[in-house]
Amino acid sequence: MSTLLTYIAIAEGKIKRSSLEVLSYCVKLADENDHESAALIIDPDPEKYTDTVKKYGPSKIYTIQDPIFKNHLNTPLLKALSVAMDKVNPRLTAFASTEGTKDVLGALAANREAAALPDVSSFELTDKGVKAVRPVMASKINSEVSAEGESVIVSVRAGSYDLNEKEADTSIETIDFGFDESELRITLREIITSSSERIDLAEAETIVAAGRGAKDEEGQKLVSELASLLNAGIGASRALTEAGVYDPSLQIGQTGKVVSPQLYIGIGISGAIQHVAGMANSKVIVAINKDPDAPIFDIADYGIVGDLYKVLPPFIEEIKKIKN
Amino acid sequence: MKFIVCIKQVPDVNAPLQIKEGQLIQDTDRMILNAYDASAVEEALVLTEKQGGEVEVVMVGSEKAKETLRKALAMGAAKGTHIVVDQTENFDSAAYAQILSKYFEKSEYDFISCGKQSQDTDSGLTGSMLAELLDLPYVTNAVGLEYENDQLVVTRQGDAGREIVELPNPGIVTCSNDMNEPRIPSLKGIMQSKRKPVDTVSLSDLGLDPSSVDKMTTILGYQEKPGREPGKKFEGEPDQIAKEVVHLLDEEANVL
Repeated sequence: MSTLLTYIAIAEGKIKRSSLEVLSYCVKLADENDHESAALIIDPDPEKYTDTVKKYGPSKIYTIQDPIFKNHLNTPLLKALSVAMDKVNPRLTAFASTEGTKDVLGALAANREAAALPDVSSFELTDKGVKAVRPVMASKINSEVSAEGESVIVSVRAGSYDLNEKEADTSIETIDFGFDESELRITLREIITSSSERIDLAEAETIVAAGRGAKDEEGQKLVSELASLLNAGIGASRALTEAGVYDPSLQIGQTGKVVSPQLYIGIGISGAIQHVAGMANSKVIVAINKDPDAPIFDIADYGIVGDLYKVLPPFIEEIKKIKN
Repeated sequence: MKFIVCIKQVPDVNAPLQIKEGQLIQDTDRMILNAYDASAVEEALVLTEKQGGEVEVVMVGSEKAKETLRKALAMGAAKGTHIVVDQTENFDSAAYAQILSKYFEKSEYDFISCGKQSQDTDSGLTGSMLAELLDLPYVTNAVGLEYENDQLVVTRQGDAGREIVELPNPGIVTCSNDMNEPRIPSLKGIMQSKRKPVDTVSLSDLGLDPSSVDKMTTILGYQEKPGREPGKKFEGEPDQIAKEVVHLLDEEANVL
C-alpha cells in the first residue's frame, strides 16, 4: 500500500493550521485511493503535538525528535525529511507552503531526485504521479502542471483546503535520527521577532491591510484601532514595508505572504497586481480608497470611495456599536 | 570576493497576456530581467564595491535573451556567461538547476547568488536545488547581506521573524526583492557593457545532451482564473457610507 505523507509545520510552539489543512485533504485522498495516510512531526518535543494531529485522522504519525529543531535551520530539516522519506517511501510528500518549507523544498527534491510542484492551489493523484494547479504570472492565471514518478513532492498554499476532523485508529512511530552539529554548516545567530507578528497572516480570519494612503501616524493609528477591534492581523503593501512603516514580515503579495482570510479590509491600498496576487483569495474584500479608479475596486465586494481619515472614524464607531 | 549571480529573462507580469486553447500568448517584446535576480545583482555589486571583489553573471537563455545579460553588465557586473539554449519554455526548476550545476562545477567563485524565485512562475526551487547538487550550504529568502570574516551574514525572512544566519564560503544565497532597489544602468554603464566579455557556452560544452536535460514536471496548459466581479461601490457622505458598509458586512456578508 502506498503512503501519502504530510509534513506538520510547527513554528514558535504552534502547529501551522495550513499544514493541518493539507493533512485533512491527504487523509481524504488516501481513503479514496486505498492508500495509507501519515503525518510527520519533526520537533524537539514531537509528543506535544500528536494529540492535535490525531484529530485529523491519519493512520500513522511518524515523529523525529532532536533539540536541533528548536529553530528553523535548513540543513538538519533537510536531513530529517530525507531520513523520513527513506523510511516511509511515500508516493506523495505534501507540505504547507510556509517560509520554512520554501527554504528546503528544492534541495529536498534534488536530494531525493523527486519532482516537486511548489505552491499549488489544488492537486490530485494520477496513475503516474500528481496533477496540480499553480497560480502563475503574479497569480493572474492558473497553470495546470503534472509530475510523474514514484515519489512526488507538493507544497500547498494556505487556505486551499478545509480542516476536517476524522476518527481514526492512529499509531505512532518514532524514526531514529541523529544530527551532529558539525554537519550544520550554516549558523543561526539570532531571530528578530517583532510583536506585531503574533497573528500569523497566513492563518488570520480577518486582515486589515495598510497601503500608501495610510502611511502617516494618523493612518497607522486608525489601522491599529480597527485591527484590534476586529482581532485582525495587520498586513501592508510593499510600499509601506519598504518605507519601514511596517515590518517586512507583514507584507502581503507576490513577494510576501499569500493570505486567504474571511474578511480583508484594504485601507489606502491601490491594488497593484503584485499585492492582489497575495490577497485575491480573500472571501470578502473591502476597499477604502480616495481614488475611484484604483484597481482594487475591480475586485472589492464593498468599495468605499473616500478619504480614509474621514471614512474610518465612523466605520470604527459603527463596528463598536455592533460588537457591543 | 567573487560573486557569480544567476539571472533569468522572464516575461513582464505587468504586460497583457492571453490564453488561447490552453496556451499562454505573451508579448515577446516585453521580456525583462527577473526582478528578484536584479536585486541579487544589486546586492552583490554593493557588497563588492564596499569590500572589494567582482561580480559575474550567468544566464541560461535563448540567443534573444542576450539583452538581459547586457542589462546586468550595464548595472556593473564585470563579465557574463550566456548558456545558450534553443528554447526555455519546457524547462522547469530542475532543468535550470542541472544546467547551472554543470557550469558551476567548472567555475571559481566565493558565493553564488540568485533571486529567490522567478516572477513569472514563482516556483522558488532552483536556488536550493543548485545548492544540493553542488553540495553547498545555502540560505534562501535573504532580505539583507553583510560580509564578515570571509563569510556572509544573511538576514532572511522566516516564519518566526527575521533569522540572522552565517553562511560560509563557498555558499549560495537566494535574494528577495525587499533588500534593495536595483540601480538603473547609467548611459556610461550601458556603453561599457558593450565592451565587457561575454562567454557563450552551449549545453554540449557543459557535457549535457540537450535532449537529456532532466525536466521533472510538465506544463499541461493554462486557464483563466475564475475572476472576481466588482461588487458594490459607495460614494458620498463618509458617515453615511461607512455606516451602510458596516451594516452590510454584518448582515449581508456575515463577517463581523
